[in-house]
Amino acid sequence: MGSWMKMIKELTIRPKGERQIRKSPAYSFDEDLKKPLSGQTVKEILSKSSDVVFREFFLQGKDRIPCMLAAVDGLVDKNLLDQFILTPLMVDLARHPELTQVTLSNVVDKTLQSLLPGLEIKKISKMREAVDAILSGDSVIFFGNLTEAIVVGARGWANRGVAEPITESIVKGPREGFSETLRINTSLLRRKIKHPSLRIISLKLGDMTNTDLVITYIEKIASPDIVSEVLKRLSKIKMDAMLGNGYIEEMIEDNPYSPFPQISFTERPDVLAGKLLEGKVGIIVDGTPIVLVVPAILTQFLNVNEDYYQRAMVAILSRFVRYVGAFMAIVAPSVYIAVTTFHQEIIPTDLLMSISAGRQGVPFPALLEALTMTVVLEILQEAGLRLPKPIGQTIGIVGALIIGEAAVTAGLVSPLMVIIIGLTAVASYAVPTFDLSLAVRLIRFPLMILAGVLGFFGVTVGLYVILIHLLGLRSFGVPYTSPIAPLRIRALLQDTFVRAPWWALKRRPQLMDVEDPRPNGKG
Amino acid sequence: MERISPHQFTTLGAAVILGTTFLPVASIVTGVGGRDGWMSVLPGFAVGIPYCLMIFSLSEQYPRKNLLQISATVFGKWIGNFIGLIYILIVAYLGGLLLGQVGDIYQVSIMPLTPLWVFFLGGIFLVLYLVKSGIEVFARFSEVVFPLIVIALLLNVGLSIPRIEQGELLPILSEGFKPIFLGTRKIMPFVMTYMLFLAGVIAFLPTGKQELSQLKKGVWRIIFLVGILDTLVVLIQLLVFGPAETIRLVYGLLVLGKLVEVSRTVAGVESLFLGVWLAAAIIKIGSLFFSVIWGLESVFGLKGVKWRHAIAVVFLGISFRFIRGPSLITEIGLVDEYLIMPFVALWIPILWGVSRWKRGAGN
Amino acid sequence: MKTERGKGHKFILRLTIIACLLFLTGCWGKKEVEDLAPLLGVGFDQGEQPGTFLVTEQFARPKKDSSSGAEIEDRTFSVEASSVREAFEKFSEVAYRTPFMGSLKVIIIGEDFAKSGDFNNILDFFQRYAEFRRSMYLVLAKGKAQDILNLKLRSGLLPAMAIKSNIEGGDEISVFPTVRLGHYLTILGTKSTAPIFPVVESVKSREGVEYKEDGKDEAGEIRIHGAGVMHGDYLADYLTDEEAKGYMWLENDVIHRLINTVDLNENSVKFGGQVLKANTKYRVKVNNDKMEIQYQIKTSIAIDEILGPQKQLSGLEWVELVKQAEKDFAKVIEKECESSIKKERELGLDFLGIGRHIEQKNSAYWKTIKDQWEAEIADFPISLEVKVTIHHSGMSSSSASNSGGEGQE
Repeated sequence: MGSWMKMIKELTIRPKGERQIRKSPAYSFDEDLKKPLSGQTVKEILSKSSDVVFREFFLQGKDRIPCMLAAVDGLVDKNLLDQFILTPLMVDLARHPELTQVTLSNVVDKTLQSLLPGLEIKKISKMREAVDAILSGDSVIFFGNLTEAIVVGARGWANRGVAEPITESIVKGPREGFSETLRINTSLLRRKIKHPSLRIISLKLGDMTNTDLVITYIEKIASPDIVSEVLKRLSKIKMDAMLGNGYIEEMIEDNPYSPFPQISFTERPDVLAGKLLEGKVGIIVDGTPIVLVVPAILTQFLNVNEDYYQRAMVAILSRFVRYVGAFMAIVAPSVYIAVTTFHQEIIPTDLLMSISAGRQGVPFPALLEALTMTVVLEILQEAGLRLPKPIGQTIGIVGALIIGEAAVTAGLVSPLMVIIIGLTAVASYAVPTFDLSLAVRLIRFPLMILAGVLGFFGVTVGLYVILIHLLGLRSFGVPYTSPIAPLRIRALLQDTFVRAPWWALKRRPQLMDVEDPRPNGKG
Repeated sequence: MERISPHQFTTLGAAVILGTTFLPVASIVTGVGGRDGWMSVLPGFAVGIPYCLMIFSLSEQYPRKNLLQISATVFGKWIGNFIGLIYILIVAYLGGLLLGQVGDIYQVSIMPLTPLWVFFLGGIFLVLYLVKSGIEVFARFSEVVFPLIVIALLLNVGLSIPRIEQGELLPILSEGFKPIFLGTRKIMPFVMTYMLFLAGVIAFLPTGKQELSQLKKGVWRIIFLVGILDTLVVLIQLLVFGPAETIRLVYGLLVLGKLVEVSRTVAGVESLFLGVWLAAAIIKIGSLFFSVIWGLESVFGLKGVKWRHAIAVVFLGISFRFIRGPSLITEIGLVDEYLIMPFVALWIPILWGVSRWKRGAGN
Repeated sequence: MKTERGKGHKFILRLTIIACLLFLTGCWGKKEVEDLAPLLGVGFDQGEQPGTFLVTEQFARPKKDSSSGAEIEDRTFSVEASSVREAFEKFSEVAYRTPFMGSLKVIIIGEDFAKSGDFNNILDFFQRYAEFRRSMYLVLAKGKAQDILNLKLRSGLLPAMAIKSNIEGGDEISVFPTVRLGHYLTILGTKSTAPIFPVVESVKSREGVEYKEDGKDEAGEIRIHGAGVMHGDYLADYLTDEEAKGYMWLENDVIHRLINTVDLNENSVKFGGQVLKANTKYRVKVNNDKMEIQYQIKTSIAIDEILGPQKQLSGLEWVELVKQAEKDFAKVIEKECESSIKKERELGLDFLGIGRHIEQKNSAYWKTIKDQWEAEIADFPISLEVKVTIHHSGMSSSSASNSGGEGQE
């Protein structure tokens, strides 16, 4: 029986090194890219796209040098280009030719040194660099037939700005959230952690999309093993597109066939900063406001950052509620099935009578009744999820109130079943992380079937299988169930089921090997 | 090589000893010790401490080796392998019997119409999954489940307090100390079974000086924790049922579970309690399963998935041979008392003595 | 690639096999809750044929009520059988639902059946079959158990449920023993103590209580009153109400009691009150070279009712009166206990568990008298010590009266 699992793995998991999903095809310009840098070739490669503009002009120095500025319309700030690049080069220079000794041979250095103001400016000499720079939103100035060019950073495009995150709304706490632009995101993070030990390492992924991403961690707090593991796994990714965090998530997680999320994400700079200070590693991808945080452990999916902004007692209560909710969301329907079809002795007689009375005339067995209702619940959730808000509410009312009430009145479903399903739904919303609540919803079905066939024996076997699975999971080398097992007593008491008050959180959590055990909140 | 932390060693050991003992213990000790039987539980378990210390001292001498490998080094290959063979047979037999008990208990108590093989298959599936996940996951499993077992036991004991009959414990020691000695003798096999597991798991324990003292402390903790829990279990049954009934009831604790009533909301918790008990049984059977694997590995050099499945088949075969509940329970008692106890009681002290003597002679 | 696909097929095959195993072999022992007939009460009477008995089983039939609550209907059958299992077989032929034993509340033993014996054989089924709980109640019936279970009570409750609630409310008055199956079995295990059961009887109008009957001369109420002492397998004798009360005191089973001194002749002022707290201890001690068991009953009582004071009392007199009340209550309790002890001596049956008490306190002595214990009961010395404390006398001191006192002429 143990070989089933293995078989699934053999069938589906390829060794991590060769996960090539899609590769970019061969292009006619592949050869061109290897040629020495030249403005003309760049123009040939890019001129088929109407959004790339080429501005040709002359630079009037000692020599009259033909120049060309290439940029993508819409990605550059035109005002910046006009004022600080074209104006100095064309107008100012032409007015004072005597000031410069610009010749074709020294034009690149002269331009860099004395002609162009501006912060982001550098010299390049490779074809590939030039093309990538243009497509990333930088402007490139080519000089005659020289094999060197200048990249000027004058990016400027429409962005959403820093807004309140939708997925992690809280009552008490900062309101800003990450946006789609990488630099804005790193700046938000930097504003939280003003310490030189914050490392931000840049990478590029995706053969065609050339997506920027950064790995961020705090030196001496994050375990170097984990950092290097992250880098290793990221560098193994070979794919042509990298359009969002989900792409990376599945490529680097430890067990892709587990229903449980092994990488956490956040949209909030304060959460990311907190996680980094716990010794975790963040992966910020350009183009998405979702930041991945590794390694992840099970209990953290049930904790939210508001716990840290609330008073400790309140936080403990709400954590307790969440754990109970998660447990109920998993087992409530299956316990109902097991109890009403196998273990009636557990129900006190009075309750037994009313359950029995409620189910008189219901045509379906409890298992089928519960399965149907849960499926209906899933459909309602799915239907309501992507609809505009006002219609979504209607779905809720029609689904929950009208269908439920009608089904009970018609005698198709027992009233207690409706209560159980409603309870399950509400309980699963108490799970704060979307990924985990998906896992909870997934687990529910096999458990219900086991309960319907084998009663509590089935439920316990199912729960133990899940438990063993969880105990065997690791996220970047950290056991998924820590600090419960392996037990880290301090972490368990401080910040797992309960949150100790801040003055008691003197040490960093021992979830992973942390290099610097220095007290955190020592004042 | 996988490692087990001292804390995991404690919970694992406690879970393995406690394992399936808390159901029959009351009936067994009361059967021989009568009203005073409860006092024999703790001394019976305490017998295990010197054995544990002997095993530790052996492991200090031969680090990262299990007791079978040590036997082979100390006694020579042939005797060592012979011991290994006996070890494997005993452990596999007991494991199969305990798997059979899973079926028996479920069928007797809460699911009378479900066929036995369902329980056997469910049990062996969990055990295989645990074994496949490795000793570390096994240790973590015990780390999570053991507290649950303790809580369930304490709840069962605590909730039964309103059902206590007057004065059932009295008179104390009316028959002198003899019943206690008899009871102790009956308890000893429980702790000897644990020695079988410890003999194998010792290879996975840390060997540092500091850790070793932690492990030794762990042993004391295990023995006392389990001893006290089992004593409580016996006590509450005596107090509620009286000695005559305690002897008569096969699974007295489950009957207690049926008696529990929590202010008219939950009527009987035996089916919930059985869920926790299942985990205990799985840990126990899993520990024996691991022992068989280690035995095969160190005696015959057999390892791999194939052999795991072969062992599972053997376990299932044994449990299917004993579908008669009463003969199963008698058989477990016989194996405990006449196979495991003499084997462990002789093997470990002799091994320890000989290895000491050899070391002394070597110097 | 080929091998992988082959494996894939194999995997799907295995999955199918598991699914088949789970779904096709049926759901073992599965029963939907609405198909169950919860068993509430069982009654045993003597059968017509020798070796058989009449089993009466009371099932509830939950029915959906219009006002979304549950209504319980009565389904009671009686069948003659020679084993309880056989009786269930016969029910199952009639009833279309599976009997569910987990909800059994009371076992009622009819008078004639109790007297004829063969009683423990019947109980074996109830302690062996896994669905039953040892917390069910055992009661004796005055008359036939069948009649009790077939009563149509004015409260609308099924008789089994009514008995259960009466027993559970018994703490309030503590006048009859509460016997669960588990307790009974434990008592049996002691060997020396004789088991005792409460007695349930139907109450017709004007038999102590008056009410408007539904039918002519039909009982519409039941009560639990007194107790019955078993000797081995059969019913030895009934205890009167007073003897049962004495038993309750001596067994330390009194939780609350309503008590009065009306029957006492020595004092013209009578008291009624409620026992707030009671505790009985016993000691086994040597008295004149002979073992003696001494009961010490300590109880706190609140006076709720005073009858017959002729005049308003001053403060000091009032204190005296309350002290008098303590003595009176103690006398009443003593009387109850003595009548119970007298009964024990008469019957030669140790339903008070005195033998067990001796064993608990002095097991060496017990071993010497164990074998002739039944003979010893008749003259084994028993002494009583009752201590009553009056906590308060309610909301007023003196009673309202119209004969002489302060404020009047």
